[in-house]
Amino acid sequence: MNVFIVLIPMLLMSAVFMEIRVIEMSAPRSGPATASAPVERPLELALRVRGDAYVIVGDGIAPLSFARSAACRAGVIDADTNHRLIEALAQIVAAHPQNHEIRIVAESQTRYQELVSLMDLARAAGIPEAALAGAMEGA
Amino acid sequence: MIRRRNGGRRRRWAARKRGHTGLSLTSLMDILTCLLFFVLKSFVAGGESTVPPPGLTLPSSSAEKAQASSLVVAIQKDAIYVGGERIASVAEATAGTQLLIPVLAARVKAARTQMDEIAMQRGRKPQASHLVTIQGDSDIEFRLLQKVMYTLDQGGFPDIALAVLKKA
Repeated sequence: MNVFIVLIPMLLMSAVFMEIRVIEMSAPRSGPATASAPVERPLELALRVRGDAYVIVGDGIAPLSFARSAACRAGVIDADTNHRLIEALAQIVAAHPQNHEIRIVAESQTRYQELVSLMDLARAAGIPEAALAGAMEGA
Repeated sequence: MIRRRNGGRRRRWAARKRGHTGLSLTSLMDILTCLLFFVLKSFVAGGESTVPPPGLTLPSSSAEKAQASSLVVAIQKDAIYVGGERIASVAEATAGTQLLIPVLAARVKAARTQMDEIAMQRGRKPQASHLVTIQGDSDIEFRLLQKVMYTLDQGGFPDIALAVLKKA
């Protein structure tokens, strides 16, 4: 009986309770394919991940640049950058409420965790659909 | 009648004195209740419960959508797995400039055909698009993810779900 009393908390402690969720999306297109844009997306909002900066671009929007630290490159977007990106995207959403999509244009070495964090902040800013796209080399 | 009952009690008392005690149902019930709660808690409430392969760290996210039943493609740091079966190493997959990974494409096309056949056998129409879940390690690079996603799209799985860990 005592053995069971020890065993049960041990089993409970060793069990990993993970909650798995999903982000639904469509397959990414390569650089040239995304350049020939579909007609139904008038704003063409994109968040470009570059070497040391995140750049928000779109039709009729002046490009907004934000510093991308080494920690961001490793996958962890710091709270300050995160807050500033959400704020900038929220302003764009307020000005263009019909837009529900953003393209995240990543570099080939961009970490998966960083991409997921960028999708999260886009969702937090009110853009529910995020698509991934590959940047053209040297762009 | 009374004597027999008394005799039985004496026998039980004598047996207890010798150290032969029966199993206590109350204790067993307690153990079983604990085990039941343990098993129930191990399963994720709602959605499909799939455990990522050992050694794979899913990225953390604030996404809320529950996982649906689908084909699972796991991208580990060293290899790509489809439904637990190793398909290609990361070095093989990232080699070359083309986006398509031929080995993976062949495997997912086979999976797609199999799914359609099962649907036909059950008297249903094959679905136009199938869902696939990618369980990618948080450390993998975008070029690998892009290749895998492109290959899945070409292999008949245009709807892709990225598995993430819910942030605490």
